[in-house]
Amino acid sequence: MYETDSPEQAALRDTVRDFCRRHAGGPTGPAWQRLTGELGLTGLAIDERCGGMGAGLAEVAVAAEELGRILLPVPYLSTALAGAVLSEGDQEAAAGLLPGLASGALTAAFVFTGDITVAGARLSGIAGNVLDGGEAGVFLVRAEGKLHAVRAADAAVTAAGTLDQARSQATVTFRDSPALATGADGDRAEELMRVLLAAESVAAAEHCLDVTVAHLKSRQQFGRPIGSFQALKHRCADLAVEVSSARATARAAVAAAAFGQGDLGVLAPLAKRYCVDVFWHVAAEMIQLHGGIGFTWEHEAHRYLKRAKTSQLLLGTPAQLRRLVAHRAGLY
Amino acid sequence: MEDEEFRAAVREWLAASLSGDFAALTGKGGPGREHEFVAERLAWERRLGEGGWIGLGWPAQDGGRGLPWSQQVIFYEEYARAGAPGRVGHIGEQLLGPTLLMFGTPEQKARFLPGILSGTQMWCQGYSEPGAGSDLAAAATRAELRGGEWHLNGQKIWTSLAHMADWCFVLARTDPKAERHRGLSYLLVPMNQPGVEIRPIAAITGTSEFNEVFFDDARADADDIVGAPGDGWRVAMGTLGVERGVSTLGQQLGFQREFESVLAQARGNGSIGDPDIAARIADAWIGLQVMRITAQSTLGPPPGAGPRPGPAPGTEASMAKLLWASWHQRLGELAVDVAGASATQTGPDYDLSDAQRLFLHTRADTIYGGSNEIQRNIIAERGLGLPRG
Repeated sequence: MYETDSPEQAALRDTVRDFCRRHAGGPTGPAWQRLTGELGLTGLAIDERCGGMGAGLAEVAVAAEELGRILLPVPYLSTALAGAVLSEGDQEAAAGLLPGLASGALTAAFVFTGDITVAGARLSGIAGNVLDGGEAGVFLVRAEGKLHAVRAADAAVTAAGTLDQARSQATVTFRDSPALATGADGDRAEELMRVLLAAESVAAAEHCLDVTVAHLKSRQQFGRPIGSFQALKHRCADLAVEVSSARATARAAVAAAAFGQGDLGVLAPLAKRYCVDVFWHVAAEMIQLHGGIGFTWEHEAHRYLKRAKTSQLLLGTPAQLRRLVAHRAGLY
Repeated sequence: MEDEEFRAAVREWLAASLSGDFAALTGKGGPGREHEFVAERLAWERRLGEGGWIGLGWPAQDGGRGLPWSQQVIFYEEYARAGAPGRVGHIGEQLLGPTLLMFGTPEQKARFLPGILSGTQMWCQGYSEPGAGSDLAAAATRAELRGGEWHLNGQKIWTSLAHMADWCFVLARTDPKAERHRGLSYLLVPMNQPGVEIRPIAAITGTSEFNEVFFDDARADADDIVGAPGDGWRVAMGTLGVERGVSTLGQQLGFQREFESVLAQARGNGSIGDPDIAARIADAWIGLQVMRITAQSTLGPPPGAGPRPGPAPGTEASMAKLLWASWHQRLGELAVDVAGASATQTGPDYDLSDAQRLFLHTRADTIYGGSNEIQRNIIAERGLGLPRG
């Protein structure tokens, strides 16, 4: 089992963390350029011949965790995952896309929902809630189980206002849009996205718990730090148990995704459901335990609450994923 | 021996041994059913000892087999998978043995370890008292050294399996003037003597596995103290949680079996068609996977051979306890809800079904071995660094 970072992964984590510290709250454009060009994070799972770093999904998960920890508003998840799944498909078909994804010049978004039809090499249909869709240069559309690439210029993209302002969404309409069959597995891509959301959620939950515990240690009421009150302490202890078990669960799912350890079909929806639910709980408690300040626009807590709820409702709601897991595990 | 070869050997031995008179013991005993087949399970302990299945991780020079962590885990897994009976000797093997290995003198090890390893000497733990539950350091049972013997007076409570035990390791106050933790000593007291009285406590299930133990001028040999006088707290805490990791992974398989029997009943009586029951079953299964994954990731092998050395375990043990105790209790609630109205009736003499027993007995899971509230204090204070109240 993959439990802790390898030395290379630990170094990567430090690098991304350091990068995040310097770019948090800054302009997005320069951050994206450095993150891709200089650090090569979108190319982590892309072969070196195509301009990537030749690492894999476990490394993409490390980067996603650290970027998600501070909710950096960049389309990292979709673009890095596109690099990973296209590398697993028909390399020749993907050759035109991979260098752009690796360099960050091309951003991607996945279309897993909507009623999309394929006719020849053309796609038609409408898809809503396309994550990272507002700024995507290419859409990877699941149709008949496989991913088809459509340039954004060949689709009608309407960016939506989003509850979580750090991650864009769009409604995308295809009308006989020319599409490239990539040969990559669309169902696997959806599971991998669930795994990355799980990993990202754990890191964000860790951040929320850290900030909340620090607040409870410093905030004084009734002449003592409020963190000395058992009613609050016990809630933090429960959150710590949840975060710790979510951490282990996300790692197990990443191991299934990256190294084929365990059953991805069960672990991906299971980890997405468990870890995002934990994130949601920690974010909600973060607001409550901060009191009034936690309800303000100025404090960061609301951004985590909104990210958690968004991640919970996309790529399978908690109720849908519970049924999916039960079905795949053969319970009913 | 390779792991898989070892697994095959364990499996073969268990299959061969759980036959004849022992076949009836399958699935018997353990928490909530300690009253079952007492004499037969004591015989089973001796059988385990003869087979060399006790003290697998103990160093060879102390009579153990010095087996690697992976094979200890395999043994517990196969033991659970075979439905082998609930252990009676686990208190000696998992609590006292490691304590002696860490803190005992060579004479104490030579005197007590062979009885544990052969499955012939049963132990119980004398920690809790009526006035010292969560606040264990408030223990008031006194021991005085007079005429080459310790004289004990006081009362212990919640003493599991005291009625089956030959010996008790007792946390007793030997220096009444010292402050709380510092006045306690760790004494080894024979149970079969006039000064020891055992009264079973009828539990919520109607059966008894916990006891009250009264010491009325009970005696212990002057040498039967582990560590120095006043060291009792350090000795007791030093081995809390020792070896738990290994048995926790086996415990997961027991949980899996219990879950499967609840699932089978839900399928059998059609209650799985109820959306609420179906959702709870799925959540129980997901919780089981999360617990297993968490146990595998946080309970790694000990750094050296043999028991993990002190200090007091970190917060992982508290986290694991909170997770499994709460999960198990919810499974018990699910079990009777799946059974429905039939769960409201018992057999003659309050004979309980598996579902009823699980439902009732799991109320104790969140209390014993450190209540959920105490575990949360440990996590909040030692893990998160929140200030004491």
